[in-house]
Amino acid sequence: MLRRRHSFVYNLIIFILAQLVWLAVLLLWIYWYVKNNLIFEQVGENISPQIVYDAPSVFPFVGGIVLLTGLSVSLVLIFRHLNIQIKLNVLYDNFIANVTHELKSPLSSIQLYLETLNSRDVPEEKKKEFYGLMMRDAERLKNLVNSILEIASMDKKKSNRDFEFYKADETIKKIVLESAEQFKLNPDTVMFSGDADCDILLDRNSIRTVFDNLVDNSIKYSVAPLEIFITFKLSANKAEIEFSDNGIGIPHDQIKKIFLKFHRIYDKDIPNVKGTGLGLYVVKEIIKNHKGKITAISEGKGKGSIFKIELPIYVAKEKSTEDKKKDLKNER
Amino acid sequence: MSVDSLVQTNILLVEDEENLAHGLEYNLIEEGYKVSLAKDGREALKLFDENEFDLIVLDIMLPYFNGFEIAKHVRKKNPQMPILMLTARTQVEDRVKGLELGADDYLTKPFHLKELLLRIKGMLKRKSWYQKVVIENPFYRFGENEINFENFKCTSGKKEFQLTSYEAMIMKYLIENKDKVVTRKELLENVWNMNPEVETRTVDNFIVRLRKHFEDDPSNPKYIVSVRSAGYMFQA
Repeated sequence: MLRRRHSFVYNLIIFILAQLVWLAVLLLWIYWYVKNNLIFEQVGENISPQIVYDAPSVFPFVGGIVLLTGLSVSLVLIFRHLNIQIKLNVLYDNFIANVTHELKSPLSSIQLYLETLNSRDVPEEKKKEFYGLMMRDAERLKNLVNSILEIASMDKKKSNRDFEFYKADETIKKIVLESAEQFKLNPDTVMFSGDADCDILLDRNSIRTVFDNLVDNSIKYSVAPLEIFITFKLSANKAEIEFSDNGIGIPHDQIKKIFLKFHRIYDKDIPNVKGTGLGLYVVKEIIKNHKGKITAISEGKGKGSIFKIELPIYVAKEKSTEDKKKDLKNER
Repeated sequence: MSVDSLVQTNILLVEDEENLAHGLEYNLIEEGYKVSLAKDGREALKLFDENEFDLIVLDIMLPYFNGFEIAKHVRKKNPQMPILMLTARTQVEDRVKGLELGADDYLTKPFHLKELLLRIKGMLKRKSWYQKVVIENPFYRFGENEINFENFKCTSGKKEFQLTSYEAMIMKYLIENKDKVVTRKELLENVWNMNPEVETRTVDNFIVRLRKHFEDDPSNPKYIVSVRSAGYMFQA
């Protein structure tokens, strides 16, 4: 980290120095032109006033200025891209460290239980418990591998999705409850209100991933006993699903960044939560694939978070089911 | 059996991965240790401040305070507390940072159960050996340096500093074998009490730090000298 900060300062200094050099050359260029012009004018008039005054051509002067300015601008561009690259590298390194951690934790747990079962006389009851814990770890590994693969296919725009028609509120409710069950939440934790009685086109598995990620985040980023509220709303041509929790919320300056790939919030007041920085990126991409929109709202730290998902309502008259399905698939 | 081995050994286990913590707790209890489990940095500091422990097993990535911060806190209060760090990170910098902040040993995840238990046993055995040896003569002087083996406080010229428990143990061992070549293997077996196949690099890391403490010119050591392809030797 220290080395990187150092290299950023180093780059900045080089950039400023280079710009100063350009500026100096530019000034020199103008000075040279003006001076030469003056000499020409005065000397020319003194020696032989009858000679027709012929000013040095403006063309090389203007050309030089354009060239120098062009170089300076391209330097700015190069510097900007370099910085973006450096930032990406930092994000990527963090991502690798996080993924390593996320892979190794369940793996070491499984190994520990296997070695325990192998080397000790574990009572039947405990054995069952250990098997259960190992299965949970295996599940965690599977989810991580899936989300990495999902990202890879998203990046290549290759994902094959199975879009089907569903009743918006009914299906989303089912999916959220499934997610809650997977994370062993008490069913009372999730509360539903409002309705959105309309048809929407969904890939059920991806939407399940969306809510898995949102529920997982709510669990990770909450201190008090968790409460999740799902509110359905219908507007002109879209179904709105509001997913809100009573968690620790999102700092204002982070709201826009949380959907970025690999982005993670590092904040002193927030316990260092583990993750890969992929969750919300995947969520956003999936919603985008559904031609929908997701926005995050939070009144700040400690005030919970709201994720507003808007999905287009399917209107039967527009096109036939099959056409619409084909459309969505073709776009991928 | 000595008297203190009859008293149950108290281990503070700091690990936030629930499944892993559960399995470790089970195994340590099966080995006959008494285990207190802390699930985050805050809990760990609270438990440490309120209880007496014989050894700490410490994860690095923890909520609130990380393992490095906890090691620092522990070292300030109790320089002799053996700390075994567990981590998923494998980078050399992490290892060095852990050792510098006073971890005595380091295991990367995933680890073997047997190795973990062996290291814990070794650390505890070493601790009691050390306590016995030191009572006889806690002070040692060489050149400009003075070491107090009881509280690990040292002076080197005008410089004052604190050794970690393993640094002190290595110094003690080297001094006891003054003018004799001590191999890395010997140090690993006697100070760490473990299989010498494990990590000879660990020894080298510690020697580098000891030289920084006691030598005027660490790259040209006078007291802790290297004996090529054999090991180290203490001269004074």
